[in-house]
Amino acid sequence: MKIHKLSLAVAAVTALVLAGCGTTSERTSDEPQAQSSKECKGADGKYVIGMSQANVAEPYRQRMDDDIKAAAAEVPQFEVKFADAAQDNAKQVADVDNYITQQIDLLIISPNEAKPLTAVVKKAFDKGIPVLVLDRKVEGDAYTGFIGGDNVQIGTEAGKYVAEKVLPNGGSVVELKGLAGATPQAERNQGFAAGIKANPKIKIIATASGDWLREKGQAQMDALLKANPKIDVVYAHNDPMAEGAYLAAKAVGREKEMKFIGIDALPIPSGGIKAVEQGRLTATFTYPTNGKEAIAAAKKILVDCGTVEKSQVLPTRLIDKANAAQIYALENPNG
Amino acid sequence: MTALQDKPAMPVEKASGSVVATLFRFQSVFGLLAVFVAAIIFSPRRDGAILFLSADNLANVVRAVSEIGIIAVGMTFVILIGGIDLSVGAVLGLAAVGSAVLMVESDWGFLPSIVVVLAIGLVFGALQGMATAMIGIQSFIVTLAGLQIARGLARIWSDGQGVAIAYGDGPNEAPSTFALLGERTFGGLVPIPVLIFAVVAIAAVVFLRISAFSRHLYAVGGNEKAARLSGVPVIRVKIAVFAICGLLASLAGIVHAVQLNQGSPNDGIGYELDAIAAVVIGGTSLAGGRGSVAGTVAGALLLGVLNNILALNNIDSNIQLLIKGLVIVAAAALQRLRPAS
Repeated sequence: MKIHKLSLAVAAVTALVLAGCGTTSERTSDEPQAQSSKECKGADGKYVIGMSQANVAEPYRQRMDDDIKAAAAEVPQFEVKFADAAQDNAKQVADVDNYITQQIDLLIISPNEAKPLTAVVKKAFDKGIPVLVLDRKVEGDAYTGFIGGDNVQIGTEAGKYVAEKVLPNGGSVVELKGLAGATPQAERNQGFAAGIKANPKIKIIATASGDWLREKGQAQMDALLKANPKIDVVYAHNDPMAEGAYLAAKAVGREKEMKFIGIDALPIPSGGIKAVEQGRLTATFTYPTNGKEAIAAAKKILVDCGTVEKSQVLPTRLIDKANAAQIYALENPNG
Repeated sequence: MTALQDKPAMPVEKASGSVVATLFRFQSVFGLLAVFVAAIIFSPRRDGAILFLSADNLANVVRAVSEIGIIAVGMTFVILIGGIDLSVGAVLGLAAVGSAVLMVESDWGFLPSIVVVLAIGLVFGALQGMATAMIGIQSFIVTLAGLQIARGLARIWSDGQGVAIAYGDGPNEAPSTFALLGERTFGGLVPIPVLIFAVVAIAAVVFLRISAFSRHLYAVGGNEKAARLSGVPVIRVKIAVFAICGLLASLAGIVHAVQLNQGSPNDGIGYELDAIAAVVIGGTSLAGGRGSVAGTVAGALLLGVLNNILALNNIDSNIQLLIKGLVIVAAAALQRLRPAS
């Protein structure tokens, strides 16, 4: 009896496995369909936009969602839905799959990582859903438009600023890097190195990884302060790490000896612009969230029945004591 | 704890009982049915069609469940003996990295890579089993350490970077055979990962029904001391159970890598908790000795359907967490009401 059951099970399993081997591929069609496979209903239509966010744990990404929400409120035809992948690629794939099921009219996605999201973005695009990719890219060209900042350029601007304005006579720089393996981290590092090249008297005396986090930036800086008696500039790959470094220096009474430079410049109370305004950071560089631009592009595609650029790179901007208050008021009139 | 003879000496599925007992025994199945019906009712509709019931969507649901489901089957075994395995998410990450590195960077063939990766999971699990069974450290602690070790190994093996997988015959390409694991079959409807999950689940159910090992399993979970006194090889049972759990976590990692075309050392963070949730909803007692694989499968599907219907209705992600938490508490509360035998 037992043997009978066992052989039945084995047979069932074998059948399933064999069935699996005779698979047919769904991904064979490689030519992306034109995005115009859906008729454009123009200004009379009602449109549902799905926004797939990599995570909302980072203030930058929460702000991106908020910017999209605010911009979409100005377009009466738009309704935007939000999904949070919580830094899990598999969850983000499921989120986009769900949007496809819901037959949304346009997808906005800020991918957690490029490679794992490429296939599902292509799937949406091939079904005729226009796709706008924000901040981080996907591979290939199966999307409608990419909108993002140029991290190499931002790093270069920061490097030039240090070389020309902060330390024209040279000095020692400590670099606090973002999470190892993240593209923005590599690009902000590479750009900065290029930017300070103009001034050979500037030396990067130490680098450490703060994983984008304020508390990690602080802990790393604690150690760097002990190891290095003379630090002139701390260049952090984002504002939270720069703030952490500032706190570490302040704890040992050395915050006045050095200048702190960050990146992102979020116009929120805990963001970099306020930190510059209040004198903790010397400067920060804007890294646009692209939310407003994404909704403008969506409007162009759905309401105006037009086309958008394949790649739209937004410029960065230096925020220092001179313009911080004014830009904060402009970007965040309610804050 | 009651004496051994008070516990069913055979799988719980076979234990006879009243109607009430039956209801409780299949708690997760009824729960799944209820959530399924609710999903149909609350599903958004488009042109009269119920979006939740569309073939594409149902395929998405089971596809998204398959990895957690495979892990949860292994977790059921561990919890049945009164243990817990917190390392499964990290082992999944290690296996995802392993299959990507071996096939893409080291240009290994499909079979040797898969065999080695599965063996790593099996050995890793067996070592954890030894630590808990022979040294007597609680499995919670052993596998908490195992989580860190597996995560560390994954980061070292991959240099901390995600390893992208491209398919083809050239150097630095994974064999196309591997890509098949992520495809769909039966007219493009059933994702292969779902078939793998189905095979694992059926094999586990059959295994628990026909093998003497299953009696040992329930005996160890019911009352370890009594089991030892009546001649059950407790240590061997424990090692085997953790080895099986590690093996299945590894298998889930392979499925994960092929579904995402990447092996990243950060894959599978928090998956152990989803797997435990599936087991708990499935009616398996965390005290050990009582529960079933079928319940776990229903529990995993229940979570999958719940995730899907909440997402289809664009319920805020924070509220989704809340709802899922309440479902887990409700399932655990039902357990407490369940008749003793």
